Amino acid sequence: MKKDPNKGYIALLGWSLNAIEAAENFDRRYVVVAPEWAEEYCQKHDIPYVPWNFERLNDRSLEIAHTLQEMKVDVAIPLFEETVEWAGAINSVLLDNPRLYGQSLLLRDKALMKRRAQLGGIRVGIFEEAHDKEDVVRFLKRVNQTLLKLDGDPNDPIHLKAFDKAGCLGHRVIRTPDEVDTIPDEEFPVLMESHLDGWEFAVEAWIHDGKIAFLNISEYVTLGYSVFVPASPELEQYRPQITAQIEKLIKAFDIEFGLIHPEYFVTSDGEMYFGEVAYRPPGFKVFELLERVYGFNAYQASMLVFDPKSTPEEVAAFFPQEIVDADGFAGCFGVYPRRRVVSKLEIPEEVEDDPYFESHELTPPVEETVTKRTAFGTHWGLVYFKGDEAARMKELLKHMEELDFYV
Amino acid sequence: MTTHRQTQDTSALPAASEKLAGLCSKLDDAITLLADAREFAKPGKLPRVLDTARRVLLQEGGAAEVERRSQVFEEAGVFLGSDWETPQYLVPSLTTHALKSPDPSMVVIEALSELRLLAVAKGEYLHPQISAEQAHHYLTQVMAINLWLLFGAPSEAERETQGRLAQIPRHLFRHLAERIGYEHIIDRLIDEIWRILQQRPIQVEPVKAMITQIAICQANPEIDLGASGQGADRLVSSLYGPTRACREDPGVEAYRERLASMDSAALQGEATGFARAMHDTGLVSPYHPVLLRHLLDYGDHLLAEALGLSATGRDCLLCYRELVSALIRGGVHPATPQAVYGLALLLERGILYQPPVAPAMWRQLGLTLSEWSQARLNLAFGEAISPRARLLEGVLCMLGQPLGVGQGNNPTCQSARALSMWAYNDPDYLLQMVAWAARDDEIIMHFEGQPISSMASSGGVAQALRMDLDPVSLIVVPHLDRIYAEMGRRCIGREGDPHRWVNPEFHGWWSGRGFRINVDVASGQLQELDTFLRHFYASYHPYYNGNQPLIHPQPAGIAVTDSAARFIGWHAITVLRVSLDPSDVMRVYFYNPNNDSGQDWGDGVKVSTAGCGERAGEASLPFEQFASRLYIFHYDPLERGELAQITQAELDRVIGYIHRSWGADRIPPTDLQADAGPTGAP
Repeated sequence: MKKDPNKGYIALLGWSLNAIEAAENFDRRYVVVAPEWAEEYCQKHDIPYVPWNFERLNDRSLEIAHTLQEMKVDVAIPLFEETVEWAGAINSVLLDNPRLYGQSLLLRDKALMKRRAQLGGIRVGIFEEAHDKEDVVRFLKRVNQTLLKLDGDPNDPIHLKAFDKAGCLGHRVIRTPDEVDTIPDEEFPVLMESHLDGWEFAVEAWIHDGKIAFLNISEYVTLGYSVFVPASPELEQYRPQITAQIEKLIKAFDIEFGLIHPEYFVTSDGEMYFGEVAYRPPGFKVFELLERVYGFNAYQASMLVFDPKSTPEEVAAFFPQEIVDADGFAGCFGVYPRRRVVSKLEIPEEVEDDPYFESHELTPPVEETVTKRTAFGTHWGLVYFKGDEAARMKELLKHMEELDFYV
Repeated sequence: MTTHRQTQDTSALPAASEKLAGLCSKLDDAITLLADAREFAKPGKLPRVLDTARRVLLQEGGAAEVERRSQVFEEAGVFLGSDWETPQYLVPSLTTHALKSPDPSMVVIEALSELRLLAVAKGEYLHPQISAEQAHHYLTQVMAINLWLLFGAPSEAERETQGRLAQIPRHLFRHLAERIGYEHIIDRLIDEIWRILQQRPIQVEPVKAMITQIAICQANPEIDLGASGQGADRLVSSLYGPTRACREDPGVEAYRERLASMDSAALQGEATGFARAMHDTGLVSPYHPVLLRHLLDYGDHLLAEALGLSATGRDCLLCYRELVSALIRGGVHPATPQAVYGLALLLERGILYQPPVAPAMWRQLGLTLSEWSQARLNLAFGEAISPRARLLEGVLCMLGQPLGVGQGNNPTCQSARALSMWAYNDPDYLLQMVAWAARDDEIIMHFEGQPISSMASSGGVAQALRMDLDPVSLIVVPHLDRIYAEMGRRCIGREGDPHRWVNPEFHGWWSGRGFRINVDVASGQLQELDTFLRHFYASYHPYYNGNQPLIHPQPAGIAVTDSAARFIGWHAITVLRVSLDPSDVMRVYFYNPNNDSGQDWGDGVKVSTAGCGERAGEASLPFEQFASRLYIFHYDPLERGELAQITQAELDRVIGYIHRSWGADRIPPTDLQADAGPTGAP
């Protein structure tokens, strides 16, 4: 698409073909900042590119900020969890706002993040850092004592998450002290949280000028397996409360612009608990689901709200109206083989024949033995659905858990 | 065409068509996404298009929907970067593999391509690269080759590997047949069968299967063949009822009973009928062995008649009557009918007069097969008949039809060539090899004085050998392949091409020790093209070698090119003879171990298999064209004469063919100055 020199010049941090494609088709100039292995591909396809290896921040970190500054880049957008603090560091230079770097560090560390939320008056569950297995056992016992469980009662589970990894990576559920032994030592330190029985959902909120420009609620059918957008009417009835929560979050983290992706629980009494927040596109291809029902490209939406040269009018014109403009419900299911040994991919006929079924991105199995699913989100590929009724979508996604896609 | 089946379908039409409409709209969405994507993003959008197309193709009427969208598909970039991008170069025979694939994407993209060509053939899609006539021609070939898809239900093997996917090729072919017309397919198929049969292959199972398809098609009142299929009668009858007493295909038992009550005049009639059918087609009906075995108790005259022998063959039969009887008893059964044809041709060749051959045949008759050999034969051919009889059939066929050996779908052209060469030139040596391999599971050959055992060698050229081989190849090729590979290994480190040393040691003393190659092994560039060609002319061309006909078959190497004259690979062949054809063109007649020698090598080079003086199984090309694909030949260094004084014009013509085909990107820099290069006018 023809680029408008009066609009911002954007750096995309990390390699995502979908993001590049969106940038190609948008009126902003852009450059991809990615490791050296991407160079040949970018040259071949004429993609603007600056090489950079995103390791831990070090003394050379300023170099990439200055390179982009010399190129007259206006802002950097993180595409992955690992590039969030890089974007903070780079934007603090590009936008001459040192606070942005501190903010990004806050958004990268799950323990710091929870404290900050707590300080901002947001409800969070019980949480603690663990440095070794003993910490985990102690926390598990303490949480269950608090819940007035007797010896022999089944424990309420606790959740373990890596401090600084995207969403479901490294997320484990622990119910008994025995299970603690299965955690590899190299995963420590981790964040531990009490389990909240309730309705888990995520939000994608595009923020411009400190205000919410578009707020989507993504409803999980089963965490780590399935999600659909927009949320069902039952969950959407909480939209006013959810909006209020997001506004608190914006204030607590002092967010002026960008895309945030927090997770919450609603307990049975209607209370909201904050889980965590990410400052990057969500996993599980929620962007694609949004495009499917609303028709706007969510990467372009992010470029728009990050771009300091965007006007409030342009932002308002870009986004559709929540719920009203959605053309049905779009959902996806992450397949993980149920059998221990599989030889081929076989989409169940009932799935293929279902009018809601759209497409899948499953590939034939590479090896026959299936390792036990250890963490959430490590699916083998997604299956996409779209249809008119939220209830049917939910039922369908739930039912997928009982089917064999690999036999 | 309205068929019963279709009228049934209409009852369930509303629900089905609604579903199809839903899928089609999803397909349109997916195509739009692909079409709108930048080139670098297209690969990411393709799986969804293919998967949705797969679901559409599974539906009744889905093929028509896809056909309607052909142009949109292609313009969106479905074929981008794949072989299907250039439909003018597609090879019909490769479709079988694609359509049988367990990979859904492969099956679907093949189906999309076929439907696109259908739209082109119908004049609904004006394609920049392929004309309606070409597309029509291509599709009829594809249909003929894959006729099983049109009439057969999925086999057990297909169901196992493809599951529901197996329905797609069937829906596709029914649609193609209805749009193109069955009559085109059948006639084209009949031509194709005759063309293959003229080459007299040893393996006739695929041909038999196609003929059976035609017979089924003719018998089906729902299929309107129009005026087509006339030429099929000889083919069908040669298998199912070549004579008066088995005209209506009564079954082997009934026929045997009929024979018992025949007088000699009736038997004479039967014998002549079978012999004529067999020599017309190269195919033998299962009834034929029944007659032959019956005639063992009658005079030699009737036996010779039933084998269709000439004076030469009859002489041979009379000389070796006892051996021939034993061969018929041991190897000619209704389950091994082709043995009759092999036996007849073996007698005609007169090779039994070579002293070692008859005793070697007696050894073959009593040969004890190793367990491995028995298992392998049973696995490949079933247990309807003993492995020994099966192997005997194979031996008779190979000795009778040395040029009918095919390598199957294996990269073992060298071994197939060796077997053919021995059967042609050194039959008792072949029999020795068969005995060693089948009885001892070991063959030992010598390379420069050192023994090489097929048992000791680690691995051959072929990683896993398939079962699509004749009985002799099935048993012997694994050994030869390993020995050949080991000989190659022993040449590692020597300068130049290993065939220089391997070919004479592997094939036989008569392969010339002199060796020429026109490709520099290290760089892959052409080298010394002029002297290479002049030397080839001097060694092989009768006008330049003192009119000396080629004495022994000689191994040679050719650069195989496709119908667009693009390099495919190196291939082993045998030069058999060089002589003038009926229209006074000097031709090279050669044996190609590939299963079908009739190939289009591009740039006007079309290998002929009949009509230019070829004997059954020979391929031929005009001398110049052959020279243009040659890259290795052998000669007798003691007979090396002067380089041929061929005219520069003739030399330039040959070099022109080379530069326009496999040599296009092999021209060394110095040659470029003298030549306009590969992009010059053809």
